[in-house]
Amino acid sequence: MKLAKRLWLILGPIFIAMLGVVTLLFWPGNYGQSRQDNVEKAAVSLSPNVFKGNLLKSAAFNEDYVPFIGSSELSRMDPFHPSVLAAKYRRDYQPFLLGSAGTQSLTHFFSLQTAGKELNGKKVVVIVSPQWFVWNGIQRGMFSYYYSNLQTNNFLEHAKPSDPMAQYAATRLLQLPSGSSNSTLTEAIIRIKAGVPLTQFQKTYLRLSERLYDHEDSLFSQLFLRDNRPTIAKGEETLPSQYDPWVLDDLATQMGKGETTNNKFGIQNKFYNDRVKPVVGKLKDTQIGFDYDYGPEFSDFQLLLDFFSRHNITPLFVIPPVNGKWAEYTGLRQEMLDQFDRKIQYQLRTQGFTHIDDMIDEGNQPYFMQDTIHLGWRGWLAMDNSVRPFLENKQTTPKYKINDDFYTKAWQDKEPRLIPDMRGGKSN
Amino acid sequence: MINLQPYENPGYFVLLVVALLPAIIIRLNGRRSHWYETLVSFVFLFLMFDGRKWTQGVALIGYTIWQFAIVALYLRYRTKKDSPNKFSVFFWSVVLAIAPLTVVKFTPLFDHGRSSIVGFLGISYLTFKTVGMIMETRDGFIKDFHPVKFLQFLLFMPTISSGPIDRYRRFEKDYDRTLDREQYLDLFGKGIDRLFLGFFYKFILGYGFGTMLLPNLQRQAMQARGGFLDFSWPLIGVMYCYSMYLFFDFAGYSLFAIGISNLMGVETPKNFNYPWISHNIKDFWNRWHMTLSFWFRDYIYMRFVFFIMKHKWIKSRVTIANLGYLLLFLIMGIWHGETWYYITYGIFHATVMICTDAWIRWKKKHEGLLPHNWFTHAVAILLTFNTICFSFLIFSGFLDRLWFH
Repeated sequence: MKLAKRLWLILGPIFIAMLGVVTLLFWPGNYGQSRQDNVEKAAVSLSPNVFKGNLLKSAAFNEDYVPFIGSSELSRMDPFHPSVLAAKYRRDYQPFLLGSAGTQSLTHFFSLQTAGKELNGKKVVVIVSPQWFVWNGIQRGMFSYYYSNLQTNNFLEHAKPSDPMAQYAATRLLQLPSGSSNSTLTEAIIRIKAGVPLTQFQKTYLRLSERLYDHEDSLFSQLFLRDNRPTIAKGEETLPSQYDPWVLDDLATQMGKGETTNNKFGIQNKFYNDRVKPVVGKLKDTQIGFDYDYGPEFSDFQLLLDFFSRHNITPLFVIPPVNGKWAEYTGLRQEMLDQFDRKIQYQLRTQGFTHIDDMIDEGNQPYFMQDTIHLGWRGWLAMDNSVRPFLENKQTTPKYKINDDFYTKAWQDKEPRLIPDMRGGKSN
Repeated sequence: MINLQPYENPGYFVLLVVALLPAIIIRLNGRRSHWYETLVSFVFLFLMFDGRKWTQGVALIGYTIWQFAIVALYLRYRTKKDSPNKFSVFFWSVVLAIAPLTVVKFTPLFDHGRSSIVGFLGISYLTFKTVGMIMETRDGFIKDFHPVKFLQFLLFMPTISSGPIDRYRRFEKDYDRTLDREQYLDLFGKGIDRLFLGFFYKFILGYGFGTMLLPNLQRQAMQARGGFLDFSWPLIGVMYCYSMYLFFDFAGYSLFAIGISNLMGVETPKNFNYPWISHNIKDFWNRWHMTLSFWFRDYIYMRFVFFIMKHKWIKSRVTIANLGYLLLFLIMGIWHGETWYYITYGIFHATVMICTDAWIRWKKKHEGLLPHNWFTHAVAILLTFNTICFSFLIFSGFLDRLWFH
């Protein structure tokens, strides 16, 4: 008796706690839907939970939300930001922002794994930053920051052996620390990379852990969402009630002028003071050697294209410029940007992705960029000129011809000058 | 192939405790089963080094044979009647025992960052154990070689990958004894406590600091580069956040190892004793990664000091002590890895040690000049805390990324 009592004192609390946790996480039912309020919040929150989870994205894509896939420019929420325009002028779509500092193709590919079927046959907007395409691709830490095992779980459940897309994605995952965060998943990723089917044990494991991760997602992913809705609402107040592109362009010019008074680069005052001014002298001519023409990002980007093709998604690709004055000061070569444009457009057009808004040459337009590399004021409006018709009009179902050569090192290293130039004027 | 890395996730603990259950029940009845506990250890060691890690498994076997031979031969030499106890024999035994670790530590430097094929997870900690044994054998404290106990000690499963570093004579006592029910229940309760404190440290606090906060702060610090030495407020955040992560992650890990040892009836020494309340750097090293710092103190620093004094090469005791610190922390730095930041970290700690010693001597000479009250004590703790956090910023390698990448 005494032994039982002492053991109970030591172990009792653990048993009770374990029972609680196991019930909570492995309960076969589900914990209700995401609240509408949270979906609205998530659409503009840019928080990592949104990338990691499943629930919020699925809920949003089942409604009228359109994924706006990009990176740090999405956080520049001035009054001409796509989310503000769509809300103010009651467009029949609402952007669901997927992008934050450090998100690149690979993050998006894995993040979309958690919301594959909800996107079937829909439209998306992708802002392709040339800066993603540095020679060594996505930074390890940045990938980890937006990564969750739920993404890999979903990826592995749908991965078919000897599928070039799955094999390439598995290879990349294993090159990053996130790929070894769970040894059972790692073993499964290795099998996919090798083109071998998963074992029965691995399949069962994936099924069980999916339930666990899903519950985790529904219990926790709606907490800790940044609320950017006040910023959006403030932007709406600034805009005229009638939509008129000319009036808006005037307004954007005025605002841009008023907010870029302390520097010669056309950079927003606050950004200039905080981030540029302290080091401006040191940065002169530091970007002469920058190159966005080679590297793994080109194949990572192919993963996204492959994903779109398999889900019959129609994407619009926006290619933003770099602030021209800034590029000139730092020595970033416009010629190199043009080469990047040529290479990426070849990859898009030869595979049937023809909705492209190419703004790579617009870097010298006044008040187009909010700072050094991020769209702002008139830049957002210019993008809206292609986004609005694209999303409001019906688009024909695309026919894609996916070419697996884009997964190869040969393509990553391919000299853009040796590629046929398929840009031939702007098309939409 | 199932591969299990020690303490990596909750599942590991469930499996391990279930496997240990029969051993626990036997111990609750005031008995013990060495062969069953050995079987469990073997299975978990196997799962640790199987699958893709099989090369490490092979390396571990080879390493064990190597160390077994060295320790056995040296013990035989020392326990011979009228053993000459020559320094050269001792010296070469230590060199041979350290040789595999040295190869492993220097391979990345000379082979473009590749890791050595003779390496495996935990090689450092096993080397500390055998070198300690050789030293104590030279001193005559270890008198006989017991092959089974040697292997049990060397390959003790709960501590194999990252310590704490036990000592043979202490371990042997625990291994030989049989606890009665009451004693075992006490130890069992302590073990469970430690496991759960470890969960809280590693999986909650360590995760919060290391996985949730740190990357954010690092990114902000990287973006704010450009000022004097790329200094910025987020960098300060990185410094404190990394220090907290380092502590909770490693202290949590050590608690797991001690907790599981306790379930197996072994009282592995603790590794951390509230390091953040240290009032100076010497106090800190008595509280931080204790089994490692005691090992360095006993087997490098003390040996060095006695050696110099015996040969009367240097007169000044202060100089000897200072050189000892420099040697100790340089070796510790190099052991962490041959990068500028680990070595700087070592030199930094040696410098702070030397300064602290000088300060203590000064205080002794001028007794009564400075009051000792709660306020001065608090200032001392605060100062020590910040000095240590700064040293961990160097240690983290983040400055390398910040300045050179």
